[in-house]
Amino acid sequence: MEERQYDLIFICRPDTPEAEIDKVISTLEHTATEKGAKIEKTEKWGRKRMAYRVHRLREGFYVYLVIRSSHGEVVKELERRLKVSDVVIKYLTIRLDEEFKRQEKLKRHRERRAARRPRKATPAAQPPSAAGGEQATTL
Amino acid sequence: MAEDNAPQHHAPASGGSQHHGGGSGPPGSSGPRAQGGRPGGPAKRGKRNFVRKKKVCRFCVDKVDFIDYKKADVLSPFIQERGKILPRRMTGTCARHQRWLTVAIKRAQNIALLPFAAEL
Repeated sequence: MEERQYDLIFICRPDTPEAEIDKVISTLEHTATEKGAKIEKTEKWGRKRMAYRVHRLREGFYVYLVIRSSHGEVVKELERRLKVSDVVIKYLTIRLDEEFKRQEKLKRHRERRAARRPRKATPAAQPPSAAGGEQATTL
Repeated sequence: MAEDNAPQHHAPASGGSQHHGGGSGPPGSSGPRAQGGRPGGPAKRGKRNFVRKKKVCRFCVDKVDFIDYKKADVLSPFIQERGKILPRRMTGTCARHQRWLTVAIKRAQNIALLPFAAEL
């Protein structure tokens, strides 16, 4: 099966020591590799103000991970770990590979069309404003 | 977030007047029968017939193929202060981008980057 890509964001309590957060990340990495997935990117966004209160907290420590896996079970396991963890107050996993695929397709489409007819009016496949912008850049 | 919303404020007003203009435009052409007796009528109608600026989709201009839910500062102009997603007719976003935008906003809301509703 082809590979899937997930974004995983979790928020820790703002008063957690950095070491504790690193521990959470390393356990996640461990679980992921165990299940045959790999973590492509780990970003600590740091303490940020949340848009609303979660567990009566106004701030949270955001951590962002990009995971690649060929099956979805990893996500289940990772989310279970996050749920169990005391320091994590919120998490979200989003599958993004299909959207990236769509993005690639649109990009290819646009490039091909720009190459084909550099200055003629584009067909009505795209909204007129986009076609106009395109013309401006190709000219 | 409030200051991000500020430039958007004119939008609801223009949207509203657009609605009015559309409603009163056609009767205006055959107007005199409706409010011809009133001295203030024609002048008022003339004032209302301003040239509307054509709104273009911001994402189409930048040729955005994917709206990132992680960039709250990009999304925040498209929500009201209370947290509502602004309709297309106010922001001028095209149908396709509005569709992606709503998804992105909802994702951002789930991870507390954007509010569901304003806090009390």
